[in-house]
Amino acid sequence: MTSAVEVIYTATTTTTTTTTTTTTTTVPPTWDLVSQKLADNFVYYLNSLDKLPGGQIILRYIKSSYQDDPIRSLFELALFIFAIHYFLSSKKRENKSDFVKFSKREIDELCEEWVPEPLIDEINPYEKWQLDAIPEVKGHNGSHINIDGRQEVINLASNDFLNLNESKSIKLAANQVINNSGVGACGPPNFYGTQDVHVRLEEDLAKYLDGEQSILYGQDYVTAGSVIPAFLKRGDLCVVDSGVNLAIQKALIISRCDIEWYDHNDIIHLEQILSEIKPVLDKQKPIKRRFIVTEALFANTGDLANLKSIVELKNKYKYRLFLDESLSIGTLGKTGRGLVEHFNIPRTEISISIGSLANAFASSGAFCVGVNPMVHHQRIQSNAYVFSASLPPYSAKVASEAIKEITENINSNGESILINSLHEKSYFVYDNLLKKLSNSKYVEIISDRNSPIIHISLTNNYRDSLNLPQLYGNSEILIRGKPAKYVNPFDDYYNFESFLLQKIIDFILQNTNILITRSKNQIEHENLPLINPHLLIHINNGVSINEYQKLIDIFDIAINKVLQSINTENDLFELTNEILNY
Amino acid sequence: MVTLSPYIPNALPDDRPAEELAELEYGKLTSEKYLYVSKHPLGEPLPLPIDDEPPYIIYIATYISYLILIIIGHIRDFFGKIFKPSEYADLIEKDGYAPWYDGFESFYVRRLKTRIDDCFARPIHGAPGRYIKCFNRIRHGKTGYLYDGTSNECLNLSSYNYLGFAQSHGVCTDFALKCVEDYGTSGCSPRSYIGTTDLHKECERVIADFVGKEDAIIVSQGYGTNANLFASIADPKTLVISDELNHASIRFGIRLSGASVKVFKHNDMNDLEKLIRTQIAQGQPKTHRPWKKIIIAVEGLYSMEGNMVNLPKILELKEKYKCYLFVDEAHSIGALGPEGRGVCDYFQVEPSRVDILMGTFTKSFGATGGYIAADKEIIDKFRLNYITQNYSECVPPPVLGQIISSLSVIKGTLNPGEGKERLERIAFNSRYLRLGLKKLGFIVYGADDSPVIPLLLFLPAKMPALSRMLYDMKIAVVIVSYPATPLISARARLCVSSALTKEDLDYVLRKFDELGDLIFLKFSSGIAGGSKIPGQPPRWSIEDVLATNVEDTKMPKLGQFY
Repeated sequence: MTSAVEVIYTATTTTTTTTTTTTTTTVPPTWDLVSQKLADNFVYYLNSLDKLPGGQIILRYIKSSYQDDPIRSLFELALFIFAIHYFLSSKKRENKSDFVKFSKREIDELCEEWVPEPLIDEINPYEKWQLDAIPEVKGHNGSHINIDGRQEVINLASNDFLNLNESKSIKLAANQVINNSGVGACGPPNFYGTQDVHVRLEEDLAKYLDGEQSILYGQDYVTAGSVIPAFLKRGDLCVVDSGVNLAIQKALIISRCDIEWYDHNDIIHLEQILSEIKPVLDKQKPIKRRFIVTEALFANTGDLANLKSIVELKNKYKYRLFLDESLSIGTLGKTGRGLVEHFNIPRTEISISIGSLANAFASSGAFCVGVNPMVHHQRIQSNAYVFSASLPPYSAKVASEAIKEITENINSNGESILINSLHEKSYFVYDNLLKKLSNSKYVEIISDRNSPIIHISLTNNYRDSLNLPQLYGNSEILIRGKPAKYVNPFDDYYNFESFLLQKIIDFILQNTNILITRSKNQIEHENLPLINPHLLIHINNGVSINEYQKLIDIFDIAINKVLQSINTENDLFELTNEILNY
Repeated sequence: MVTLSPYIPNALPDDRPAEELAELEYGKLTSEKYLYVSKHPLGEPLPLPIDDEPPYIIYIATYISYLILIIIGHIRDFFGKIFKPSEYADLIEKDGYAPWYDGFESFYVRRLKTRIDDCFARPIHGAPGRYIKCFNRIRHGKTGYLYDGTSNECLNLSSYNYLGFAQSHGVCTDFALKCVEDYGTSGCSPRSYIGTTDLHKECERVIADFVGKEDAIIVSQGYGTNANLFASIADPKTLVISDELNHASIRFGIRLSGASVKVFKHNDMNDLEKLIRTQIAQGQPKTHRPWKKIIIAVEGLYSMEGNMVNLPKILELKEKYKCYLFVDEAHSIGALGPEGRGVCDYFQVEPSRVDILMGTFTKSFGATGGYIAADKEIIDKFRLNYITQNYSECVPPPVLGQIISSLSVIKGTLNPGEGKERLERIAFNSRYLRLGLKKLGFIVYGADDSPVIPLLLFLPAKMPALSRMLYDMKIAVVIVSYPATPLISARARLCVSSALTKEDLDYVLRKFDELGDLIFLKFSSGIAGGSKIPGQPPRWSIEDVLATNVEDTKMPKLGQFY
């Protein structure tokens, strides 16, 4: 090994001598001595490397590289030190960069000085009426209810469209399971929380919706927020309808994927976006996951996604389709199989379908259905499935029973009797209201004829005359692709507009004992621009045509009565007192 | 000839007499001696949890095990992709579509978890009470199973059933059935539309009264409660200080709110104080403006560690530094405290000192869902701006019935005496089993009174070994490892219940004793208690353990013999 060291040593001396010869005038005479000393030390420490295991290899490497190019060795050493520094400091980097140093006493003072804001802003007096306007049902929830001292109110505000909550067979099924398994599941699905009824419902749903497999969730709202982040990661892409509900908005934000928004139900815009990004995506290697995300029946607007065109486009541009069927399962299509059945498209075209069991099925929870690898992946990677308790077993049984009720009672046209009745009633109310309101200067129907929830909005002209804004909230996420850094503040106009609708609801309730409702979106949570609130009529199978007729008869009277005195922005603000004393 | 089916079978009819079945769901108390009141001695500091360490050889063996598993997994992947491409179809691009998930991301699941898939998600039938009935199944293909229709009735140490309310008959079930009749099976609508019934209001009153807060709000799922809470109380100018072992739902909720989040070391009060001080002094990043508010988020009882929050110390810090405190009592409500009112009850502090108390109904009350309890102004605001109020289903009536009736039992207004017995049994059972395991020489984590007992296995191969052998011995336990725990500390999690009798626990201890010797699990050093001679690891014989355990269970400092 001595020879190796000698080689290095000689190499060092040669380099130093060459430098000294060229720069003799500038270098002080001690330079030779210093470099000599350095070289000695260097060699000494290098020698000790030899004793370490693997040291010989390093030594040989340094030797050969040094001989060829000492600059390279230095450069490599610098890189090496930088790498170590980087790895050691990377964790605290963000802190260090703008970290102000304080003494203990200064921190004490700062802590003493700091005055936090209250945990929550108290309800302001202008929104307090919203709290009082929440109806409280006394006793059984169903098509006819008792609320706030009123008996037998016709309930057109419930999501239980098929009125299964009052069904005897559903109750019997629930009783049987509770008598066998108790109420709660007492564990997450992966740890002994899966009961026979859960697996049975998963089988039933997969069969009903023509998917390979399905998976259950304990609550409807968390489903999108859990399914979407399981598949869409940073760098993945989704093209999303800009009218989607809050659950999907939040899910997309959480997933950190790239989002492109297309105008609500605007297929031309969708195609434009898809074709614009195609060249970029074609170069991608490996290709990333990409989805088109939409609701089937939009909760915010009551219209149907243009599924036929979307499916064509997603096949053309090779996207997967995520479809939220929360409101359409059990309401659309001949046998309630959702928007897919409504448009006669095979379910296999939809990569991920999610839906709620808490609406038409009179149960609770939600599901996701699709191909095996997709569903199986969720059983380990989907937060709300892994980290939460299973659905109560009786709920699973109730949903199975609801599917049975829907699919086993079929009329001669191959339609489910329950669903058919719902459709007839929806059409009846929709058609008659449309006729009634065709000349109304105040309101118009904006939902689809097939929707079990009829959305009635103030007309644009009328809203303009009251100086109400086109949209509420903020549009940061559409412009920048990221949610705003602040929450939407309380909005006076949104409050007034909601209050106008509430007055109509109250008038109808007082005069005909019929309860309808309005959209109750929470402006501070919405990340997309929020459309104006609507009056909502939730069609219910348990309500007779005669009773619907009563609603139709009073509807325009109520509208005129409430709105005729309000024609300018000032009139709106004069409602303030009424709001405060609601 | 037994027919095997890939579909879940219908449970065979059970014609045992009703009394025997009831006994299998909730065992009768065999002696008044087997009761204990769980309470933290007032004024005494909470001892730091002692996590016993195994010999180094165990750590090395664990790392080598994972190394072998990973290497073999990669070798199988490598050759599998060449020789059996059909099995890897899900991992490669197909017709221009990216795979559902990438091979790297799913490696752990495919190559490690799949090997022991049979230990997870065993389908059951009937109430998961003292015994749990698991369907027997045989592995079929990669992810499927075949069922022969029979089931295995196991002692249940797996379900969250702390107070034993998972029962198919009794006052609570009767009330739940009545609610089905009087209110229906579904909530039908979000709360703010038409989902609020008088039963919801009553339930909220009952729960607020129980936890000692002015008002409460209930949500249909525990995960959903946390996941949507923080959006209503935090914004990007808020700092949330979170324990590093907080539940996924809390972390999800904080992320959703957009708030800044800082993490402190699990249960380390010095680290917490340091963090609070630095953060108040530094303020928001870049701008250095002061934080709008600071919320400390902790759990009452950590479900993977069995540790309790150091509530008295946290309250002190919170009051000193003007922070707000959120306590998730998912596992502690019902299970801790002389009256079952959770950690506040256990440490004897006023619940009003905690700003927001959250809890779930799944674990102790045999129901499902969660609640938030706080001052009236806060809850009123939540009624307007809590996401689930407006956008999600409400709690269905039978669940409300179960919550109201089980809380009445605990409070003693329904079936006086029964609630007290349940509370004292869970306290006794938790201590009894924990101490027994410690004496035998197992490493168990967590606080003395915790009904969650994590028993450390370390080596990955011991997880399926323990789970399968116990299953054959008719004991059901949960095994957990990465990602729910650190990679090297795989564990079995035993959840104790009031429904178990002392004799059941003796049976469990006997079987663990056998298995502990068989698969080498007794490697505690004694620092966490259980040993009578200082410095010597506890290795009691099972007979000695059973002979002394009832008395020793009642010593104030469990297992501290010197």
